[in-house]
Amino acid sequence: MLVDFEIIKRAQAGDAPAFNEIVLAYRKRTLGTIARLISRPEDVEDVGQEVFLRLYFSLDQLRTAEVFEPWLYRLTVNAAYDYLRKHRRRMESRMSDLSEQQVVLADAMAGGRVDHEVRQRKQIAEAVDAMLSAVSEADRILLTLKEVEGLSLKELEKIYRVKENALKVRLFRARQRVLKAFGEAGNEPSAKGAAKAEI
Amino acid sequence: MKWTNRGNENAELDAMFRAYRDACPDPDVSANFMPELWRRIDERQRSVFFMGRWARALVTAAAVLSLGMAAYLYIPRGSTSVFAVESYVEALAAGHGQDSPNLPEQAADEL
Repeated sequence: MLVDFEIIKRAQAGDAPAFNEIVLAYRKRTLGTIARLISRPEDVEDVGQEVFLRLYFSLDQLRTAEVFEPWLYRLTVNAAYDYLRKHRRRMESRMSDLSEQQVVLADAMAGGRVDHEVRQRKQIAEAVDAMLSAVSEADRILLTLKEVEGLSLKELEKIYRVKENALKVRLFRARQRVLKAFGEAGNEPSAKGAAKAEI
Repeated sequence: MKWTNRGNENAELDAMFRAYRDACPDPDVSANFMPELWRRIDERQRSVFFMGRWARALVTAAAVLSLGMAAYLYIPRGSTSVFAVESYVEALAAGHGQDSPNLPEQAADEL
């Protein structure tokens, strides 16, 4: 836990400074999770604010402070899911779709100003994004939480409110769909090569 | 490159996810994050407040209207209603009196 239970209880009682403290403690981690879930850097803060907005208005429904973190993850997952459903991700990213940051990065890369490591990371991110965008939003989120965020099955059980065995089945199927989609896409050698080089 | 077997596939997928995690660190938070969040919270609170007021006003209006209609239906009015003075059979007979043929007269003509 990044904050004391007492602060959560105070926030539940409507204490604005306590809520501020919670946001300050969790915002970086939450934004990181969102960034990896939605892969659109320009919208990460917007979705993050939506998460904390929902948190503010639903804190009174939290039964105990002990389940705060799964609760926050659940809100994060729901907000990311809503976002992904609204903005169906396109496989090919055009220049007009890129954020300002990405355009700067792309320009810099073209000019050879970004080093090899940054280029490789970008390739890996793009490869995994492409792989995950070939499956449903639900699969993408579940796999990201488990495999990228590193959440345990116990933690996922609390977030999804389903039994561990059911989660295992869902994870297995999601992995199979990712592997199938990636296989069908022809295993883009550049991206995979970059990933392997990084590994 | 083709994946040769299921074990390799899964191992490579795991490795790719790990690499992805390293390639996408937590982003920096902009200075505008907290002010914008509180602005959105205030905005939502205001809209919830106004919606609550509207909802209360509507409920009050609906209750007043219901009471008015109930009063209109249950308070006895003057003797203008046919049901108040006539039986059903009488009202039916009065309604159909002009439409039905005068059988005794018709029978007399035929004779």
